[in-house]
Amino acid sequence: MKPIEIGTAKSEHSGRVDGMLQVGWLPDGYPMETPVTILRGRDDGPVVWIHGCVHGNEYCGTFTIHKFLRELDPAGLNGCVVALPALNITAFQKNQRMSPFEGYNGGDLNRCFPGRVDGTLTEQIAYHVYRHLRAHATHLIDFHTAFTADTRWALFAPPSGDQGKVAEAMARAFGFSNTLPAPLDILGGSALTTAAKDGIPGLIVEAGGLDTAFSPETVADAAERLRNVLRRLEMLPGAVTDYGTMTFFSNFAWVNTTRGGLFRAAVKCGQALKKGDVVGRYYDAHGEMVEESRSPHDGIVLAISSWPVMPSGEILIHIGLNPRAA
Amino acid sequence: MKTIEVGTAVSRAAGKSKGFLDVGTLPDGRPMRSPVIILQGAADGPTLWLHGCVHGNEYCGTFIIHEVLRALAPGDLKGAVVALPALNVTAFEKNQRMSPFEGYNAGDLNRNFPGKADGSVTQQMAHAIYAPLKQYADYLIDFHTAMTPDVRWALYANIPGDIGKKGDGIARAFGYRSTLPAPPDILPGSAMMIAAKDGIPAFIVEAGGKGPAFTPETVTDGAERLRNVMRHLGMLSGKVTDCGKMWNFSNFAWVHSTQGGLFQRAVKCGDRITVGSVIGHYFDMHGRPAGEAKAPHPGIVLAIHPGPIMAAGETLIHIGLDPTEV
Repeated sequence: MKPIEIGTAKSEHSGRVDGMLQVGWLPDGYPMETPVTILRGRDDGPVVWIHGCVHGNEYCGTFTIHKFLRELDPAGLNGCVVALPALNITAFQKNQRMSPFEGYNGGDLNRCFPGRVDGTLTEQIAYHVYRHLRAHATHLIDFHTAFTADTRWALFAPPSGDQGKVAEAMARAFGFSNTLPAPLDILGGSALTTAAKDGIPGLIVEAGGLDTAFSPETVADAAERLRNVLRRLEMLPGAVTDYGTMTFFSNFAWVNTTRGGLFRAAVKCGQALKKGDVVGRYYDAHGEMVEESRSPHDGIVLAISSWPVMPSGEILIHIGLNPRAA
Repeated sequence: MKTIEVGTAVSRAAGKSKGFLDVGTLPDGRPMRSPVIILQGAADGPTLWLHGCVHGNEYCGTFIIHEVLRALAPGDLKGAVVALPALNVTAFEKNQRMSPFEGYNAGDLNRNFPGKADGSVTQQMAHAIYAPLKQYADYLIDFHTAMTPDVRWALYANIPGDIGKKGDGIARAFGYRSTLPAPPDILPGSAMMIAAKDGIPAFIVEAGGKGPAFTPETVTDGAERLRNVMRHLGMLSGKVTDCGKMWNFSNFAWVHSTQGGLFQRAVKCGDRITVGSVIGHYFDMHGRPAGEAKAPHPGIVLAIHPGPIMAAGETLIHIGLDPTEV
């Protein structure tokens, strides 16, 4: 079997190995290490690279990957799964989106791929992750969350061409109805679009909300959908579940708040919106309603803020544009 | 009619007055201002002091107070309500328990009453708040949350005699089943204990969880229970709803984690546990089971850590001891 070596995880035979990949250095001189699991099936075959917590406080993906790995028998697997369930490890520890050691730059790991060996802290993390991803992965699945527990959508890339067909098949097998075939000019520096440009088809899953905002049911459901993707890639035996007709978007729109205050959302994820619909209400500190925020677009709610208090500039809502049955 | 003056909120007649109480000075020289609402009824009666967000990220109470005040007409009210819905305002803005300007001290506002005019940031806040509280309040209700949305319990200062008896009456009208008649030697420096020792019957509500972890239903239910307390106190007309029997506790126990890792709770708030009951599961970074957390005391779950990650020393579980139906 072709050896796969990622940090201290070295896989030469069928079975599971756990190890750690160094992605940087901590200020006290210890290595910054992220956990890696390689689960090798009976034969060489596709290598599906799965990672979670690119944004440190999006734990639903970590739990989904862990559950999936615990329930995966190497004897039943064709090919290999490489999993990095808590990628942005210091952000993961600190329960925040970006690394607490990234002081000066944007620091969004999902805008820093393929990374730079001598760049900022986050660019260096991206570099140490991406060189292995590019060397080994035939497919990528990247787990994220939005704000609220009811978040359920996905993106695939490339959106077209031969690799696009593979990516679309992965998205259909995962089967979240709301899905964006991601144009390659959005999400610059994401693992998804960077890998797609390097010929690796991939999927981003957005399941559950920040921090504690996800349920064991969402984890179990996402783990089963992940298995269905592996069945579709003929890495696991069994019939592929058909999740039916999907809703594809042309793109998405992020809408930022332009005022601050106490906030209550008025919409749920998956809901259809018309331009002008009320999506939430602001209250002042004395409890008086001061503004209804309205949707600037038609579309489907992909994500809605859950913060009880918001300053201006926070992400208010994320809208899937031009939904069409696909 | 009485005159009630809390910061810039001044009430001399029936109606609603809004303003701000200066509780400190910010590093840019501007005042640190906490919002105040005074609602004076058309008829004389007691003054009920309400506050929320003593701990800045416990927003459920702010929303409950706001909901009650928005719906309350001065013509229906006997007496007055003084409300400070976002007491620890800089912590409230920053979505954290303690003020971001409290650098050196413990900084828990609910351990710093009655405060000190020349003490730490938090002691000065407590001092600015406690002076009008002591001057005006006939009753105090203080809204908190624990960690998860299913939190529902309460406590009152069980000072022997009239103060404790009035606390019991408020607790029964609020009607959460799990209630602690708090021994006078616990929670030193809390607004509840300090006020009760100054002759003001005082009650703490624990409803919902931190940050966004509360639902509109919990807010609506909390608001209705608060109105029931006001009926019990003769401030609103109408029949007092009988909420039935309560579980009273002898005390509570806070249990800290002595292990770190990924964590999933195995119990819900209100569950009955015995010594050795499994209350949660730890996992390592590769998703392997890493041990069970077990209850060190029998009782009722008042609060449980939601995970998904845990550092050693965090509050793992809060247990109501020796439940007795009363």
